[in-house]
Amino acid sequence: MNMFKILLSLLITFIVYSKCAVADDIEDRVKELEAKIAQMENKGGAKEESSSEHTKIYGNAFNPSIGIILNGKYNNFSMKSAEPAVKGFVIGHEGERGREGLQLGESELNFSSNIDDKFYGSMTAAIVKEDGEDKVELEEAYLMTMPNFNLPDGMSLKAGKAFWTLGYLNEHHVHADDFANRPLPYRVYLNKGWNDEGAEISYTLPTDYYAEIGGGVFRGDDYPVKGGDGESPGAMSAYARIGGDIDQDQNWRLGVYYVDGDNSGGRAGNDGDNTFKGDSTLYVTDFKYSLAPTGNVREQELTLQGEFFARNEDGTYDDVVFNGTSYGWYVQSVYKFNSRWRGGLRYSQMETAGVPTGLIGTNMDGEGYDPTSVAVMTDWTNSEFSRVRWQFNRDELASGSEDNQITVQYIISIGAHGAHKF
Amino acid sequence: MFKKIITLIIIQFSFSSTLIAKELNVFACEPEWKSLVEEIGGEKVKAISATHAKQDPHHIRARPSLIAKIRRADLIFCSGAGLEVGWLPLLLQKAKNTVQPGKLGYFMASEYTPVIDIPETIDRSHGDVHPEGNPHIHLDPNNILLVAKELNRRLALINPSNKSYYQEQYNNFMNRWKKSISIWSKEIASIKGKKIIIHHKSFDYLLNWIELDAIASLEVKPGIPPTASHLKDILQKINNNPADIIVISQYDPVDGALWLAEKTLIPVATLPYTIGGNEESKNLFALFDSSINLLQDELYGK
Repeated sequence: MNMFKILLSLLITFIVYSKCAVADDIEDRVKELEAKIAQMENKGGAKEESSSEHTKIYGNAFNPSIGIILNGKYNNFSMKSAEPAVKGFVIGHEGERGREGLQLGESELNFSSNIDDKFYGSMTAAIVKEDGEDKVELEEAYLMTMPNFNLPDGMSLKAGKAFWTLGYLNEHHVHADDFANRPLPYRVYLNKGWNDEGAEISYTLPTDYYAEIGGGVFRGDDYPVKGGDGESPGAMSAYARIGGDIDQDQNWRLGVYYVDGDNSGGRAGNDGDNTFKGDSTLYVTDFKYSLAPTGNVREQELTLQGEFFARNEDGTYDDVVFNGTSYGWYVQSVYKFNSRWRGGLRYSQMETAGVPTGLIGTNMDGEGYDPTSVAVMTDWTNSEFSRVRWQFNRDELASGSEDNQITVQYIISIGAHGAHKF
Repeated sequence: MFKKIITLIIIQFSFSSTLIAKELNVFACEPEWKSLVEEIGGEKVKAISATHAKQDPHHIRARPSLIAKIRRADLIFCSGAGLEVGWLPLLLQKAKNTVQPGKLGYFMASEYTPVIDIPETIDRSHGDVHPEGNPHIHLDPNNILLVAKELNRRLALINPSNKSYYQEQYNNFMNRWKKSISIWSKEIASIKGKKIIIHHKSFDYLLNWIELDAIASLEVKPGIPPTASHLKDILQKINNNPADIIVISQYDPVDGALWLAEKTLIPVATLPYTIGGNEESKNLFALFDSSINLLQDELYGK
C-alpha cells in the first residue's frame, strides 16, 4: 500500500511538472514566433541569399501525417439465404461476402511519420461493424528502418504488424484495390490479408534491373497460419522479385513468395469447424504488367495482373490425417479510358485438394468442384482523393450455387495520403 | 546451391560498385534536370530521368525500374515543392543513405529559387494545390541560373576529384545561358501582355517571365480535369473578355482546349513544357527557343 502511495505521488508530481514544462514551452514558442515575425517584417520578405540551410519546413511537416479513408457501400445479393461456404475450404470471417444493404465499409485512420533520422513509423486502424458492434481492428502498426540507419545500402528492416510482402495485393490497403472485394484465393488463404505480428528484412540489389529479396519471422497467428503461441516464431517467409521497363510506356514485375508455419494451436474456420493442426506452406507467384498507350498513366492505362497460390498442408483436420495441396488463382485486367473512368474484369478460381475418407461430407470435401468468382467493375474518379465504384460479382462457390452480387461503393481519402506502391 | 547464389550476389555487388566509382549516377525526376546536369556534369555523370515529356510529373508510379535506378543514385535532382510527393518518398526508402533529405545528394531545385503561387489558404476543395507553391520553376530562365549554381556546388562536393571539370563546364554553360536570356528578352517584348487561357498552372513561371496574362484555366481546379459546364463558363467569360491564345502542354488532354478553340477560333499552342516535349526541344536552350517561337507563331501567324 505504501509503495502504491509513493508511486501515485510520483506520478502526480510528474504530471504537474510536465504540464508546467508544456506551458513554458508554449510561452517560449510564442516568443520565438514573435521574434521571427519581427525579423521578417524588417526584411520586407526579401529572399535570403546563399544561406546554407535552404530546406523549408511546410505546414505540419514535423508532425505525423494523418489520413482518413471513408468507405461506404450498398450490397445486393441474389442469394438471400446464408452464403454457402467455399466448397472444399475452411475460411475465416473476413473471407465471407459481407453484409447486404447500405453499410459503411472499413473506415481507416492512419498516422505515419519519420520518427527520427533512422526510423519511420506508421499505424493504421480500421473501424468496422461486426456482429452489430463497431470494432477497432489494428491493421498495421510498424516501424521501419530508414536508409540513415546504416544497414547496407538497399537493406531495410520492418517490425511490428504490417501487411507483409506476399503476392501483389497483400501489401496494399483494401482502399487501393481495383475491385470492391478481394479475389477468391485472398478470401480463402489469407482471410483477406496477411498482417501477422513479426519482422521482415528486405534487400534491393544494386542491379540495373529491379531485383529485391527478403524474408521474415512471424508469430504465426494470422492467416495463412494460425495458432502460433509465441513460444518460438510460428511462421517464416521468403520472397524474391524482379521487374523493369519494356519501353518507356510499358513495365512489369514478377515475384515468388513463400510462407510456412506450424499452426501449433490449430487453425479453425469461421464457425470453429474443421480445425487444422500441422505444417502449412503457401507458395505464391504474381505478375503485373502496365501499359500507358499515350505515355501518361494519368490519362490512359491498361494493367494486367495475376496471382497464383498453392497451399500444401501436412497435418490433421479434426484429428484426421491430411496431406494435400490445393490451388487458387486470379487474373484481372483494368483499363483506364480517361482520367476519370476505368473498367475492369476479374476471374478467380480455387481447386481443392482430395480428402481422406475421414473428411468426406465435411466442408473440406470439395467433391471435385472448383469454386469460381467473376467480377466486372467500373469506377469514376473525381480526383485522387475520391472514387465511386459499381461492381457486379457472380460467385459460384459450391455446385449449383449461384450468387449474383451488386455493389456500389465510394472511397474517400481525407488528409495526407501517402504514395501507393507500384 | 545456396552458396552459389550468395557468391553470385556478392560478385554482382562488387562489380556494380566499381562501375559506380567511374561516373556519378544522377537520378533526375524530370527531363529538364537531366538536361541541366548533363550540361554541367558532361561525361562525368550518368543521368536518367524518371519521367518523360508525355508524363504528368505529379502522377507517375514508383515502378520497379525506378526503384532500381534510385537505388544506385549518387545524386537525386528534382523540382521539389511537392511535385514528386506522390512517388518520390516511396522510392527514397530504397535509396542510399547519402541521397536522403538533408544530405548533399538530395537536391530539390525549388529550394534555391523564388516560388510563386503559394496559396494563402489550403483546402482540398481548391483541388490538388501545392501548399509549397508552384513547383514548375524551370520555365523561368532566371531560375535556371540559380539552380545551376547550386548544382555546380553539389557536384563538386559529392565528386571532388572532378571539381575543376565541373567548374569549367559550369562557366561555359552560364555564359551561353546569359547570352540566350538577353536574346530571348528581346524576342518576347512583342508578346508581352497577351491574354491567355491555360490548362494547369504548369506554365506560370514562363507566363510571369514573359508577362502574359492568364485569364482562365481549363482545369476546374488544379488536378481536377475540365468538365463541360466549366468549359461553358469559360466560353461565357471570354465572350466578354476575349483571350488571345490557349496554352496546353504535351501531357494535358486536348479535348477541352480543342472544343474551346473551335467555338471561339482562338489558336491553341501546345508548348513543349520540358525537354522532349516536341521535336525541337532537345535541350534547355532549344526548349525556350521553341516555346517562344510557338507563342509568336500562334499569335502572329507564321
